[in-house]
Amino acid sequence: MITSPVKLWRRHKNVSAQIGKKGKILLWTIIRVPAKSFTDQAPYPVVIVKMQNGENMIGQLVDWQEKDLVSGCEVVSVLRRLRTEDKEDIIYYNIKFKPL
Amino acid sequence: MIISILGASTTKFGELWNVSPRAMAKEVMVNALNMSGLKSSDIDALYVGNMLSGILGNQANLGSLLVEELGVFIPAFRVEGACASGGLALHNAVNSIKAGQYKTVLVLGIEKMTDASLDETTNALMAAGSDEERMAGATFPGVYALMAQAYMKQYNVSEEDLASVSVKNHYHGTLNPKAQFRFPITINDVLKSPKIADPLKLLDCSPISDGAAAVIITGGGSKKIKKPIRIVASEIATDTLSLHDRKSFTSLHSVVEASHKAYKKSGLKPTDIDVAEIHDCFSISEAIAVEDLGFSKKGEGARDIAKEKRTLFKGDIICNSSGGLKACGHPVGATGIKQIVEITEQLRAESGERQVKGAKIGLTHNVGGSGAVTAIHILRV
Amino acid sequence: MSGIVAYGTYVPKYRLKLSEIARMWGKDSVEIETGLRLSEKAVPGFDEDAVTMGIEAGRRAVAMAGIKSADLQSVYFGSESHPYAVNPSSTILGEYLGIGNNYFAADLEFACKAATAGMQVTLGLLNSGEINFGLVVGSDTAQGKPHDALEYTAASAASAYILGNKKSEIIANILLMSSFSSDTPDFWRRDGEKYPSHFGRFTGEPAYFTHVLQEAKNLLVKGKFKASDFSYCVFHMPNGKFPRVAAKKLGFSEQQLYPSLIVDKIGNPYSASSLMGLASVLDIAKPKQKIFFVSYGSGAGSDGFVFETTEMLLKKQKKTIPVLRQIEDKIYISYSQYLRQTHKI
Repeated sequence: MITSPVKLWRRHKNVSAQIGKKGKILLWTIIRVPAKSFTDQAPYPVVIVKMQNGENMIGQLVDWQEKDLVSGCEVVSVLRRLRTEDKEDIIYYNIKFKPL
Repeated sequence: MIISILGASTTKFGELWNVSPRAMAKEVMVNALNMSGLKSSDIDALYVGNMLSGILGNQANLGSLLVEELGVFIPAFRVEGACASGGLALHNAVNSIKAGQYKTVLVLGIEKMTDASLDETTNALMAAGSDEERMAGATFPGVYALMAQAYMKQYNVSEEDLASVSVKNHYHGTLNPKAQFRFPITINDVLKSPKIADPLKLLDCSPISDGAAAVIITGGGSKKIKKPIRIVASEIATDTLSLHDRKSFTSLHSVVEASHKAYKKSGLKPTDIDVAEIHDCFSISEAIAVEDLGFSKKGEGARDIAKEKRTLFKGDIICNSSGGLKACGHPVGATGIKQIVEITEQLRAESGERQVKGAKIGLTHNVGGSGAVTAIHILRV
Repeated sequence: MSGIVAYGTYVPKYRLKLSEIARMWGKDSVEIETGLRLSEKAVPGFDEDAVTMGIEAGRRAVAMAGIKSADLQSVYFGSESHPYAVNPSSTILGEYLGIGNNYFAADLEFACKAATAGMQVTLGLLNSGEINFGLVVGSDTAQGKPHDALEYTAASAASAYILGNKKSEIIANILLMSSFSSDTPDFWRRDGEKYPSHFGRFTGEPAYFTHVLQEAKNLLVKGKFKASDFSYCVFHMPNGKFPRVAAKKLGFSEQQLYPSLIVDKIGNPYSASSLMGLASVLDIAKPKQKIFFVSYGSGAGSDGFVFETTEMLLKKQKKTIPVLRQIEDKIYISYSQYLRQTHKI
């Protein structure tokens, strides 16, 4: 996974414009065998969300409970740390989704 | 111009700890040449299908490396399209012959995955998807799991129905000496296996494997082979990289389009196909594929497989006689070419215990990522 | 005159009951809860930090203010858990809030009073006419050492305040401010160390109480006020006991103090603490009410303010997510989940 500080910087405007937007869960899964940088977060849900503007987005679901894992659940986009990085790495902030 | 297959060979697929990539390549090159009655010097170019050599092995320039194993310094290329690398390499080779640039070409699919840790490999396979998917922590099984949920919900398909794909393919694997897994499994085994990404469980997922496969194709004739198997269609189609950008979550448009073009080019219909190699990276993949290829009605793919309509000796269009990706194994870049080898052997009536009687027309379905690219080939006697 | 134009707060969703902590270490929960006067504390999500929480609070403040984030001309971010030792939280916040590039910015540290110090800096810029609107954020994911006394109270949250000098936008004028500072080593964290150290009972009388009470007295004298002039009082809340004792000593009643006591339900979120108590008061205050406010930061110092609400408050109260509502929006977690979420394991 590429988490270059340059990429983080280049994506500022896009990411900041996507914070605080509402949507509804279309599909969900729970990742139990995680990717390398996500090992300490597993298991975690990943959702495809239909945003109010009609676009679909994919993201991790945070601050969730079992009852939120249902198609149609309303969510809002938030900014969170992407993963637990190495001690010397840049901290990567990314859009995730939180049940309303 | 008629494109004929003169040589076809695969290694055993599995955890080949003590076999290097060079050794795997050499084995299948030598066997393919033997079968064809040709020498290395008869080969005009080498196409290699491979995904992970750079990411896991720090080795790019794979064409140059593997041409050393062939022993002749001919034009050599690596072609990549994630898990469709093999099919794409073959397509490019076919085009080069049709263009009149080369006459006889060796196409090699190869992957070494077990030198890296499971963590590293899981991570590397995510390169097949998009940045958004990676940053969402969506592993490759995770993306297909989302598809599975959509499919099961839309068509009221059960986990048992999906599990029947793995059961069928394992049964076929018991009949294939080259398969990674040669033991049967039951529906219950699948349902009880640990969850990877809900609802997909361990036995819904193809394994990590090493392996290589090679075919030799030509636009000229053959002294040794009287009526070689022919490639009558080689078609590619693409779709969005991310699953969430697609119009449908329960059908792969790239498969529909590529197969449509292939049927049209070859003047054939789905019902003409006797035997097919399907890209079952996950059980859900085969369920959706048989629908997208026109073998089953929309929504009936999994149920048809559960009813054994695609099973050896019982079904009408036999799918994955090799054991598929699930049981035969899935060394990513090799799969597309292995599929061609399997169909070639079936059409030459050389498949031993797993022979589909009277097979005359075969199809291979090779998909990259979650459906971003598909390569369809149709072969016939 | 300058004042508060808007505020925003953020409390993470997770709560750890003190009884869970006590059970882990074989202590008497009732005794601890009674002594500290709180029963549960707010715990951040695995992927939250002072910056992500600060951004939430900051967005809410901007929404209440009804200004564009580009109108903000300064950002001062106070925390003792800045994500980086070197790399400004203030500009990460500024970037994700879409402030642009023309603003004053700095990160501050002064234990739990970093943000109120930031307010005083901002007021300097406002009162001199350098800027019209400035943002101050106090945010912490406070780390409590396992088995240490502070483990029961160290919590997480964020408070954001927009200050301005445009009369029509002000919801609470700042009538008066002052500060009391000293070198009092009651609580500290060495560079590179994960957890703070503290000197037990020394953090009480010579530290918290000396500074809070002296600053309070200075403020009352400077403004010629008495305790009964105020509708509300807010003090820094390291636990539920200290602010109650301070209020009583200064002659404030329980009714004046009570609405600010967020500590009872979420613990001590360090730099966000006193400002969240203030927000809790502003959520329910009426116009033309005076609020007495004294923060405290170990090491040590206290910042004092006298606020007076305006008519504008009523309109902007409608645009807030009340502190109480966030406090009640919670999921309880176990001690082991708490260890995971705060990266101790």
